[in-house]
Amino acid sequence: MADTTLVGAAPTHPTTAQIAAAIREERARRGKRAALLKHIFLIITSLVMIYPLIWMLASSLKPDNQIFGNLGLWPSELRWENYTAGWNAMAVSFTRFFLNSTFVTVLSVIGNVISCSFAAYAFARLEFSGKNIWFALMMMTLMIPYHVVLIPQYILFLKAGWVDSYLPLIVPRFLAGDAFFIFLMVQFFRQLPRDLDEAAMIDGCNPFKIYWAIILPLSVPAMATAAIFSFIWTWEDFLGPLVYLNDMRDYTVPLALRSFIAQDSVSAYGQLFAMSVLSIVPIVIFFIIFQRLIIRGIAMSGLK
Amino acid sequence: MAAVTLSEVRKSYGGLEVVHGIDLEVKSGEFLVLVGPSGCGKSTLLRMIAGLEEITDGTIAIGERIVNDVPASQRNLSMVFQSYALYPHMSVRKNLAFGLTNLRMPRPEIERRVAEAAKILQIGELLERKPRQLSGGQKQRVAIGRAIVREPQLFLFDEPLSNLDAELRVQMRVELANLYNRLGTTMIYVTHDQVEAMTMATRIAVLSKGNIEQVGTPYELYNFPRNRFVATFIGSPKMNILEANAMGGAATVADFGTLPVVVPDGPISVGIRPEQVLIGRDGDLVAEGKVTLVEYLGSEIFVHLRLASGRDMLAKAANTAQHKIGDEVSVALRRESLHTFDANGLTAPRATTTA
Amino acid sequence: MNKFIRRNLAGYTFLLPWLIGFFALAVGPIVSSLYLSFTDYDAVAAPSWIGLENYEFMVKDRRFWKALSVTFSFVVISVPAKLVFALAVAMILDRGVRAIGWYRALFYLPSILGGSIAVAVLWRQLFENDGLVNTLLGVVGVDGPNWLSDPRYSLTTLIVLAVWQFGSPMLIFLAGLRAIPQELYEAAEIDAAGKFRRFFAITLPLLAPVIFFNLVLQMIEAFKSFSGAFVISGGKGAPLDSLLFFTVYLYNEAFSYFRMGYASALAWVLLLIIAVFTAVAFWTSKYWVHYENERS
Ligand SMILES: Nc1ncnc2c1ncn2[C@@H]1O[C@H](COP(=O)(O)OP(=O)(O)O)[C@@H](O)[C@H]1O
Ligand SMILES: [Mg+2]
Repeated sequence: MADTTLVGAAPTHPTTAQIAAAIREERARRGKRAALLKHIFLIITSLVMIYPLIWMLASSLKPDNQIFGNLGLWPSELRWENYTAGWNAMAVSFTRFFLNSTFVTVLSVIGNVISCSFAAYAFARLEFSGKNIWFALMMMTLMIPYHVVLIPQYILFLKAGWVDSYLPLIVPRFLAGDAFFIFLMVQFFRQLPRDLDEAAMIDGCNPFKIYWAIILPLSVPAMATAAIFSFIWTWEDFLGPLVYLNDMRDYTVPLALRSFIAQDSVSAYGQLFAMSVLSIVPIVIFFIIFQRLIIRGIAMSGLK
Repeated sequence: MAAVTLSEVRKSYGGLEVVHGIDLEVKSGEFLVLVGPSGCGKSTLLRMIAGLEEITDGTIAIGERIVNDVPASQRNLSMVFQSYALYPHMSVRKNLAFGLTNLRMPRPEIERRVAEAAKILQIGELLERKPRQLSGGQKQRVAIGRAIVREPQLFLFDEPLSNLDAELRVQMRVELANLYNRLGTTMIYVTHDQVEAMTMATRIAVLSKGNIEQVGTPYELYNFPRNRFVATFIGSPKMNILEANAMGGAATVADFGTLPVVVPDGPISVGIRPEQVLIGRDGDLVAEGKVTLVEYLGSEIFVHLRLASGRDMLAKAANTAQHKIGDEVSVALRRESLHTFDANGLTAPRATTTA
Repeated sequence: MNKFIRRNLAGYTFLLPWLIGFFALAVGPIVSSLYLSFTDYDAVAAPSWIGLENYEFMVKDRRFWKALSVTFSFVVISVPAKLVFALAVAMILDRGVRAIGWYRALFYLPSILGGSIAVAVLWRQLFENDGLVNTLLGVVGVDGPNWLSDPRYSLTTLIVLAVWQFGSPMLIFLAGLRAIPQELYEAAEIDAAGKFRRFFAITLPLLAPVIFFNLVLQMIEAFKSFSGAFVISGGKGAPLDSLLFFTVYLYNEAFSYFRMGYASALAWVLLLIIAVFTAVAFWTSKYWVHYENERS
């Protein structure tokens, strides 16, 4: 209520424009000092935010005895051996883990983008009976924690003989399992003018052709956003591999990292950090390249 | 080229009927304009013909074929949209060729048609551009080009000129008329602008609230409107309407006196076009009034008048007339230029004049 | 009939993968999980019906209550803290900050990395007895506790981890703040409304839908969080179950002890808790969330 009275009152004020101009001037004067304070705050906050990550990077290059009790970031000597030794520290080399992760991630991303864009196209562009109900149900699945469906899914995949393979991780991705991506794409598709579909219809396209020749090419940013998020989340996924993969040769990178701590909780911290750093390198690279898309994607979908 | 026949065509959204049983015959090779105020159902009707909207009831035939269940792509027609609807990710050339590629037409034939359309519409040097690099007028040409390469039996236009500025609109109007004369294909053209309708149509269908009010040539609609809606909708500036009262074959029009009419007793209205309102005393009915505003248009002048009773009229006068605001003038009407509408707004037959 | 098929064919064809997934991987599992929650099941022998026994056991299960209280504490503390922080930073970033793109990206980075095992591993080391945090505290003369082995402090590490990932609600707040017309603030300033008044009279009410949205989302996320707690607590909720998140307890019951029936009952309780929290948020929202295009 209070805000509406404020808004209502302003235009009737006789010298609104002048006062506003004066305020802008005053603001500009005060602006400089405020801007400085803001920047100091922001810089300190960023440093605090980023410090742990830098510390991890620095520690990955330090000898083990310099990691703890030591604030300094610069190692006395650069221990690149942490990387080479860490890479082969376990019974199976990290080459294998990275290949496994890449395999699962690439297929998951493809599955996600295809199946979710299918569903999104149906929801955003096609008419069919029951559409609104299905859409509501789809949105409800956003709420369901993975833990709730995990056990029955596990039993299902166990019976199918899929445990200890990548199928339980990949097949659901081809069944539009992540409603978040459907929602993101629906939001995007809805912005495209309807006339385009209709012009294409008259130009002889059926719905499949419209999806393929009109909607997809115009949705590259949305597809890319979905692909990037899908990449990041699959790469980081821990619970799925934890449940379904038991043989170390099948491990993905996060699973391998976690065995790393479990297997020797004592000494090789430098190596542990080295592998931790490597495990997030793909994500950081993706983030640096695509941060615009990622940030726009968050604002667009309003999710996660 | 094909005729289009609509019979008893209806459309409802949810429970709400927006097109009420339309019967319309579009002759082969005709330029038919659907005109009416916005929201009256023109687009809906056109989209039903196009196959973009399902028909709730009735039948639509293109040529001999009933197309109710034929998808848009198989109706052999082209449509030009108000928003142009050019595919943003394709070059102009691809935009033009897209429909033809979908028909699996041989490449040389596609190229021939694209080149020909580009020549007709003078868009040859734009072919490699993307739509966002085109001006409004150029987009419009490409949209039309995309329609003509198909060489369809029927063209549909939904307010194609309304996104253009006034000057371009006049120019494109002429070009569209030329295009029609050149191709001779059946065209159905939707607009809310009666000037567009009058200048381009071979026949016009006037729509209002989901009903057809009248179908006829521009001449027929202008001179013999079937009812008051058509009479006031067609013609610019609008026809003057004077409320009147009929009693025993004579109508009393305030300010002007009485005239013979052929309508049942009761409240009626009498209409007269501004160019037939004469300033002076040279008419069958005369009233006194005052000039309230003069609009000089160059070729003619609009004189706004207020009669003694306080009602306003508009007269169109020659550009040589010398009227000033405040002038006291006489206003004369000739009986043969009056339109009489009964209580329901239907045009009444003319009274055989004697007096 | 033919018409009906034609009208629906394309839509359902495109929807088909999702429909299969929806029934096979969401509805089916939820229903069978309800069934399993009334059974004793070890994933090998056939499930045997035991009625309400799992639920009766749950009521008396100390670890269940512990897991609930740990999870609730985590949600109730971390979500508001994260949102307040996100809003504060978003407001500072909102208008006329140079290099905003930089800050935005930097602040968002932890949200992207937060779910990774690498960060969980890092966190564990940060809060070690002689880890970075205690070293830093030592510099200012505070003798830091033993974060990871003292049950009084262990949850703090995870709360800090959650707040550290304030980036995505911040981005959503930023988008929301952008949508508030600048003139409102000028009008308020002319009416001599101070900074706080402006915040409470304009920003907060106009941002209410966004706050609500973030709240629901972060709550659900917090209830679901798993990998950080799992790694930091050594997979078991240690020390002394002080990090026994509901999800961690559930995982262990199911996949360490193969008590699938009991774990299913736990899963259903989790689902209900999240549903209730979401419903309460929606239900109360009508008292404090007013949408702009709403007529009153
Ligand atoms: N998809 C729709 N759903 C509901 N009502 C519609 C829809 N499309 C059009 N209408 C209604 O049908 C009427 C006719 O619309 P339209 O044919 O677009 O009018 P016109 O093109 O003459 O301006 C309008 O009252 C409009 O509100
Ligand atoms: Mg229209």
